[in-house]
Amino acid sequence: MLQIRDLVKVYPGPVAALQGVSLEVPKGMFGLLGPNGAGKTTLMRIVAGLLEPTSGTVYFDGEDIVDDPRRIHRQLGYLPQDFGFYPHLTGESMLRFLLVLKGVQAPGGVKHLAAELLDRVNLSYAANRKVKTYSGGMLQRLGVAQALAGDPRLLVVDEPTAGLDPEERLRFYRLLAELAEDRTVLLSTHIVEDISVLCPRVAIMYAGRFVAATTPVEARNRLAGTIYQGEVEQGDLATIEGNYRVTQAILIEGRNQVRIHLPEGPPPTGFEPAEPTLEDAYLLLAQANGEGGSADAGRAASSDVQGEGASDARREGASAGNAL
Amino acid sequence: MNSFTRWWEVVRREFLTQVRRPGYWILLVLMGMLAFGLSDGSVTIASGGGEAGRPHLTSVFGQSRVQAVLIVSVGGLFLAIFSGLAVIRDIELRVGEVFHATRLTVREYVWGKFCGGVAVFGLIWLLYLCTSIGFNHILHGGKGHIGFFSLANYAFPTLLFGLPQLLLFAGVPFLIGIWSRRSLLVFLFPLVVLLLTFSVLTTWSPGWLSPEVNRTLMLIDPSGFRWLTETFLKVDRGVDFYNTSPLRPDLGFVLSRAAYCAAGLASVSVAAASYARRLATGASDSPIVRLFRRRRARATAGPPSGAPLRDLEMATRPLGFARAAVAIARSEVRDLVARPPIYFFVPLILLQAISTTTLGYGYFGSRVLLTPGTVADQQVNTLNLLICCLLLFYTVESLHKERNRGMHEILHAAPVGTGAMLLGKTMGNAAMAGLILLAALVSGAGIIVYQQIVNESPVGYALFPFVAVWGGVLLPTFAFWSALVTAFFSLLRNRYAAYGAGLVFLMYTVFRQETEGTPGWLTNWQGWNLVRWTDMGAFTLHGTPLLLNRLLYLSFVPLLVAVSVRWFPRRAFDAAATLNRLRPRALALGTLRLLPLAVAPIVLASLLFFGGRSGYQRPGVNDWREAYWQRNFATWDGLEMPSVTHVDLDLAIEPAQRSIAVTGAYTFLNHRDQPYEELPITAGRWGSIEWTLAGEIHEPEDRANLFVFALDGPLAPGDTVTIGFSYDLERHEGMSRRPGGTSQFILESGVVLNGFEPTFAPVPGYDPDIGSPGFRGPEIEDDFYLGQTEPLIGWAGRPFTVRTRITIPEEYTANGVGQLVSEEVADGRRTVVWETDDPVRMFNVIAGRYDVIDGDGTTIYYHPAHDYYVEEMSATLDAARKYYAEWFHPFPRSVLKLSEMPAFSPGAQGFPTNITFSEEMGFLTQRDPRSHLGFMVVAHEAAHQWWGNLLGPGRGPGGNMLSEGMSHYSTILLHEQVYGDRYRMEFTKRLEEEYVSRRRVDTERPMVKSMGGAYNRGSWAMWMLQQQMGRENILAGLRAFIASYRDGPDHPVIQDMLAVLRDFAPDTAAFDAFAEQWFFEVVLPEYRLSEVTRVQEGDEWVVRGTVENVGTGRMPVQVGAVAGERWSDRGDDADRSVVAAGYRDARTEVVLGAGESAEFVIRAAFEPDRVVIDPDVLVLQVNRATATFDF
Repeated sequence: MLQIRDLVKVYPGPVAALQGVSLEVPKGMFGLLGPNGAGKTTLMRIVAGLLEPTSGTVYFDGEDIVDDPRRIHRQLGYLPQDFGFYPHLTGESMLRFLLVLKGVQAPGGVKHLAAELLDRVNLSYAANRKVKTYSGGMLQRLGVAQALAGDPRLLVVDEPTAGLDPEERLRFYRLLAELAEDRTVLLSTHIVEDISVLCPRVAIMYAGRFVAATTPVEARNRLAGTIYQGEVEQGDLATIEGNYRVTQAILIEGRNQVRIHLPEGPPPTGFEPAEPTLEDAYLLLAQANGEGGSADAGRAASSDVQGEGASDARREGASAGNAL
Repeated sequence: MNSFTRWWEVVRREFLTQVRRPGYWILLVLMGMLAFGLSDGSVTIASGGGEAGRPHLTSVFGQSRVQAVLIVSVGGLFLAIFSGLAVIRDIELRVGEVFHATRLTVREYVWGKFCGGVAVFGLIWLLYLCTSIGFNHILHGGKGHIGFFSLANYAFPTLLFGLPQLLLFAGVPFLIGIWSRRSLLVFLFPLVVLLLTFSVLTTWSPGWLSPEVNRTLMLIDPSGFRWLTETFLKVDRGVDFYNTSPLRPDLGFVLSRAAYCAAGLASVSVAAASYARRLATGASDSPIVRLFRRRRARATAGPPSGAPLRDLEMATRPLGFARAAVAIARSEVRDLVARPPIYFFVPLILLQAISTTTLGYGYFGSRVLLTPGTVADQQVNTLNLLICCLLLFYTVESLHKERNRGMHEILHAAPVGTGAMLLGKTMGNAAMAGLILLAALVSGAGIIVYQQIVNESPVGYALFPFVAVWGGVLLPTFAFWSALVTAFFSLLRNRYAAYGAGLVFLMYTVFRQETEGTPGWLTNWQGWNLVRWTDMGAFTLHGTPLLLNRLLYLSFVPLLVAVSVRWFPRRAFDAAATLNRLRPRALALGTLRLLPLAVAPIVLASLLFFGGRSGYQRPGVNDWREAYWQRNFATWDGLEMPSVTHVDLDLAIEPAQRSIAVTGAYTFLNHRDQPYEELPITAGRWGSIEWTLAGEIHEPEDRANLFVFALDGPLAPGDTVTIGFSYDLERHEGMSRRPGGTSQFILESGVVLNGFEPTFAPVPGYDPDIGSPGFRGPEIEDDFYLGQTEPLIGWAGRPFTVRTRITIPEEYTANGVGQLVSEEVADGRRTVVWETDDPVRMFNVIAGRYDVIDGDGTTIYYHPAHDYYVEEMSATLDAARKYYAEWFHPFPRSVLKLSEMPAFSPGAQGFPTNITFSEEMGFLTQRDPRSHLGFMVVAHEAAHQWWGNLLGPGRGPGGNMLSEGMSHYSTILLHEQVYGDRYRMEFTKRLEEEYVSRRRVDTERPMVKSMGGAYNRGSWAMWMLQQQMGRENILAGLRAFIASYRDGPDHPVIQDMLAVLRDFAPDTAAFDAFAEQWFFEVVLPEYRLSEVTRVQEGDEWVVRGTVENVGTGRMPVQVGAVAGERWSDRGDDADRSVVAAGYRDARTEVVLGAGESAEFVIRAAFEPDRVVIDPDVLVLQVNRATATFDF
């Protein structure tokens, strides 16, 4: 169990990256969703023991991570958002070096294990190439391989699917899902699909606070019957935006595919009821917490949601919603 | 936005970025300190100094000298690093692609980066100049070395010396940085230039160097210092010239400076092209760097396994400290080996270390025979400094590289302790240092083997000196330095700040060493000059403090590591939490936690501090000297003492205890006209001294160690009285405070004592040298020598006899002045009695564990391992004794001894019958087929038996020349006598080279006004005087000279010698003219040939030309038309001294004064191939190498 209490992080400036967040993350996959600058990476780095918070506590299985980050390093698999490797080493050498440092052991030895892990992330063919020749996606996969290595009790992955093609992304989903069966996986992303596919629970961050903690299903259910979709001419979009809460508007071949949130009343002409998505919920929350946001929309997406083991997040979300 | 605006934006951005870098601020502070130091006079560069009479620091020559050196030595390194890293940093930050997706062109970007960086350095240089001007003309305006203000004096050197260096040091590393994208390679350029400049380009100027090569070196020296020195400072132009004349560069030099500017700018242009090409092709490495990469076959992608991860049965068991450190270290080593810089740095350092050793010269220009100990000793400082530089760069880069490559979060999240991580990195870098040491070890063996083959050296290789010196000194230094740099990095958390802090720490250390000498044991972290190697017992003098010093700096390592681990940026600190940590209470608690680790350094530092303060260099140990001077100067200075007629000494020496028990007596004879009521005697700080007067116990008045004996009755002229003394003393008691040599010692490795000063025996009378505040007395009158002159060396009055009885452990041989009267060994102790068979003016004692070689009335006592040259030395000593006795005065003593002493004491001392030689002289002189330098050293010291002993020179200007200059002159004669003309010419050329290269033309005084020894010009003047007077005349004159002064009590100077010689001169007018210019003035001819032609007329060849004396002085000089080589290098010495069969010459003579020229015609019966001025090396001159003409 990962327990985060009243975590505050203020960067010189001052910039309040985390404004007293609290969260309890049990075993299994837990998603952190939020826009850029929401504070996700700051939180992940604090959890990984790489950043000192201004105040607050982080415990993992009862051990204080803030006080002594070395405690978490023994049981951590970590994939940062931005990373690199020694360019002069081959992929296999690089991975082997990290396996040795982490103290990872396997029946066939470290060399064999490195080969197996590279195989799992589909890098066997480039095992003997120097890292400096790797593409962005290959580097990301090498990063994934080192994060999965060993038997980490806590896996912290920050934007893990960035740079992965769809096939690799699916492969990664499978690996993460397997790992999440008996350990805690904290996944941070702004890609809603990652959360939809992988996470039974999700917390949504905005401007250094949790604004919601829920499950993707509940978030969708809460919006059931309130989402409509239709096509709008470019010239009419402004009118629709003025009168309705638009969750998404995508311009395709000169016409806008528009989704609106309408809890009450009839939809505009040409709009049909649509299945709510997690993305609708996320975007509504984002709009609610952003400038000119609607209190109703925020409540719809957050204040009513229920999330197992997310009482503090719920409280945060509620307060955020109520504030709007 | 036009191109200029875009370029300007890059310049502005780069300027603002760089100007914030801590390294530049550190440079600014450093330059400010240098400006102050130079202005204050505490820092000097070359001959620019604070002494009155030197050229002004503010003159164009003074500023040129300073600016030429400052950029290459200080600014270049900073400039190169910041310029070279400018684009690398953008590549690391991955901003390049964003930039180049805009309209910003590569050319605009590259030139903008370059100009921005250069602008920052330019600003710092401008501030430095302004600060210098302020310090020089406002703060220190009245000082003697500060002249009038002229902006041009600052601006012109900047333009001529500064700007080309600035562009070069910014441009080339900039290109290297862009081309290689390796930050370590960027450091290579300034380091190479720095080493080349100071080890070769500005300093290496042997006399045999051809003018063309010299000129080439002037032009390729980027600092311009060589050109300045060779063109202006080696030629006598007088202080006024340097202070007031403008500096006019010749066309070649201007072109070379322009070439350097062009090279710097061209480098930027090439860098832009390289950058553009790489951007277009997407290659990340240069073609050459790619050569270091192994090629591997490309594998193709196959379907990945879908097996679950749990099948891998992975488990995590964090590594222990040691295994983690080793894993990191192995990775570091792999990284080091994979990168090219190591392959440049290691050979470079080796080259420098080896050249330090192999190009080194000993006394009088002799080449030293290298032993493992001397190789280790000579290379230790070079290796120390260079490896420390390298460790600074490698350590910072190593600590920064994960962040640089974006890998820090992954690595820092690994279950590896920070301590293990830092240790691993340190071990990796230490491996690099170890590799260099190993290579140096091998090269050291190579040097020894080379000597064995080429020089027939019997010296074998031994590992112990290397292990003792390098292991003992260097390894603790490297450990401390690595830990310190790591701590800098951890505390400052910035790569550039760490560089700046490290460089400043290193530069400050070097600066202190240069200005204040070798630091004491407490602060000598670098281990500079810690060991003074001697094969006779290197650690017998400073063993304990050396050990404590090394342990002290090793003990700092855990403390620094703890600080590093605590502050290493593994977890990014929170600003508020950091402020909390810096609160006094938190800081105190943090410090308390470190206290256990500080115990060892505190204890060791205390031992060194208090040990040093209670040892023989303790504070106040010399206070008695000041009190001595204060209490006695007014009363006793100038007292003419009665002569000592006999010295009786009974010495019990305990080398292991560094102690000696002294009992003795001096017998005084009043040889003067007036009676003495009191007799003063100066003693050292020896504790309780028991005195006797005329055999009765006596308590003289103690006036701060001047003991004044009130005689029972006046000592009438012709009367004698005996004063006795008895005491025990310990020499070098306790621990020293700083490393260094010592001239007199009682150590297990040997004993060296003399009676010049009250070291172990009292000195009659008042000693004006003790405690004198060193004020500059009035100019000594020109006629000071008239009447009776006190001796320069030894005691006043007449010569005396000495009996020395010495007891010492039996393994030692102990020598005193005179001949051995008795020797016996009983109860493990040897007792010897030495008595003089002819009166002397001074005495000494030397003891050691010796082997002995006897000659014809001579004996040499030497360290058993130093038998390489002793037979030649013995033969030389025999020859010296024989011929000097014939030429100057019969040698009145039965034996002439020469004993070797440990290298703690440099040089040699020619005590009567008992010469002492440091092991660095003679005993370890290399054989050289072209000259006989070992011969020269022995011949010179043996000559002191005549010049310094039989003839005791007077105290005052021109006195020392009669000792040193005359000994060198004697050596010229002995060279000629023993080895013939060829070797005499070689030797006199060496003296000339040494004189020309070492003279300070702006401060050189005539010999009759100089207190110096005038080794070279004095001997040359006598040699030239011999040509004028004739050999027999001058030798007869010198015999008469010694005979007239031998028994004192008057002691002569140059004028006295000239007065005697004049009577033997066949042409007194010519003699006077010669003496006037060579002894009473400073002159130095410089001859140049021009319009030289060679025409065949009938059977003969006619050579015509013009010779001009562009120097000073008027001398007859021969001009020779020459064909063939004069000497053969085949066969033995005798063969090589015979004129070669094919050699022919025809000569004429011209007499030229300063600025005069003359046409000459030489008719030869052969076809000459060159014209040579002064073919027989008979006239001292500058630039002899240019005074030839090849057809």
